[in-house]
Amino acid sequence: MRLLWEELRAAVPLIFHGNPYLLSIIWFTIQVAVIATVCAAVIGLPIGLAIGLGRFRGRRVLQLLANASLGLPPVIVGLFLFELFVPHSLLASLRLQETRKAVFVAQTILALPYIVALTAAAIQGLPPGLLDQARALGAGRRQLCTLALREARIGVLAAVIAALGSALSEIGAIVIVGGNVYGLDQTLASAALYDANAAHYAQAVAVGIVLIGLILILMGGVGALQQSGGGIRLRFRS
Amino acid sequence: MGYLWDQLRTAIPLIASGNQYIFTLTWVTIKLAVVSTTIALVIGLPIGLALGLGRFRGRRALHILANASLALPPVLVGVFVLLLLLPAGAFGSLRIEFNLGGVYVAQTILALPYIVALTPAAIQGLPPGLLAQARVLGAGRRQLSLLALREAKIGVIAAVIAALGAALSEVGAVIIVGGNIANYDQTLASAVVAQVTDVGNYPDAVAIGIVLLALILVLMGVLTVLQQRTSGIHMRFRTAP
Repeated sequence: MRLLWEELRAAVPLIFHGNPYLLSIIWFTIQVAVIATVCAAVIGLPIGLAIGLGRFRGRRVLQLLANASLGLPPVIVGLFLFELFVPHSLLASLRLQETRKAVFVAQTILALPYIVALTAAAIQGLPPGLLDQARALGAGRRQLCTLALREARIGVLAAVIAALGSALSEIGAIVIVGGNVYGLDQTLASAALYDANAAHYAQAVAVGIVLIGLILILMGGVGALQQSGGGIRLRFRS
Repeated sequence: MGYLWDQLRTAIPLIASGNQYIFTLTWVTIKLAVVSTTIALVIGLPIGLALGLGRFRGRRALHILANASLALPPVLVGVFVLLLLLPAGAFGSLRIEFNLGGVYVAQTILALPYIVALTPAAIQGLPPGLLAQARVLGAGRRQLSLLALREAKIGVIAAVIAALGAALSEVGAVIIVGGNIANYDQTLASAVVAQVTDVGNYPDAVAIGIVLLALILVLMGVLTVLQQRTSGIHMRFRTAP
């Protein structure tokens, strides 16, 4: 236990002395998590709503596909994007290879399945008669969407938190796309990998402690939501 | 699209020709996924059953803890396991750092939350009266556990598949604890990272990625088929001998 203890003892001052390297990584990690999740929500919520509410052909297939994409290995997403961004490739003109922007793009794509699949699932988990009744009472598409989102909000928030959490601890895609460049496009998780590989264990432990702190804050959010989400209330506005 | 197409065209023959490197990677990956999930199942299933069936104090807190551990970042597990396994660490005498032994340990720790958290969730999702009725009818602890496992088996299988899937695509702990050594303790996923970031051998990376994707698709297919089949839970009590 001695080694672990020593590294922990060395790590704590690194956190509290406001190390600028550590601060920049924390800030970038939060940026990646928030921006990627917001982009994914903007793109994914309409798709999730369509799959959850729509009654078109192929809806089931789309849902299966969305669920399956939850299991997509991040390294595959990273590899695919990398192949698009390298010189001579399709999106080479965007000049995203090994940049922060590439990390945002990769993480947005990884966050999308959470939003799409879990929103659709949350809407399908609503009491069976609710949406039919709203339809029968003459709700338009827009009203129906608003109602579904409002009633399934706990599920949607859980999806957002899952997306944020995966952005915090994910490394496969961002290491490949961003190159894990020291001080440029590292997140807390990829910095921990970098430091551990470089045998800077105290630094790795410090980064890891901050990372687990952020995750605990998120989990606290989940817990609070689950406590407050006791039963779905029916509220039609006249 | 020309570039991507060229890469795919060079990658396919690499797989089809039975490349020794890719074959080793696939074998190590499958071994890692199966061994770590099996150990996690042996350790985690009793805990999961206790959380799902037990009526002791602190059960709820333990369940919340199990759920929270699902969000444990793999890199963090990797750093802590490595610090314990290094020669100067607590378990340094085992000499399993930077080899497959250490990777098994790390991946088992990462697979445990799936089994421990998802088994009680599956048991708690059973029809409310089922277990109470079995208790009233005089089922012992062992019979109750067997009944709960049999009725919640789809949930448990889903947990196993989730653990297998995580082991297939996980890179954080595998790279940190194992050192990502080619032909030794490299998995398909960690090989993709190495081929792109260290070696720059993109056709190999694409070929390995295709094999990985195929493995994941097989797993997903199994899960989907299982979920399609479960139309309602059958109540089957066996008469006591």
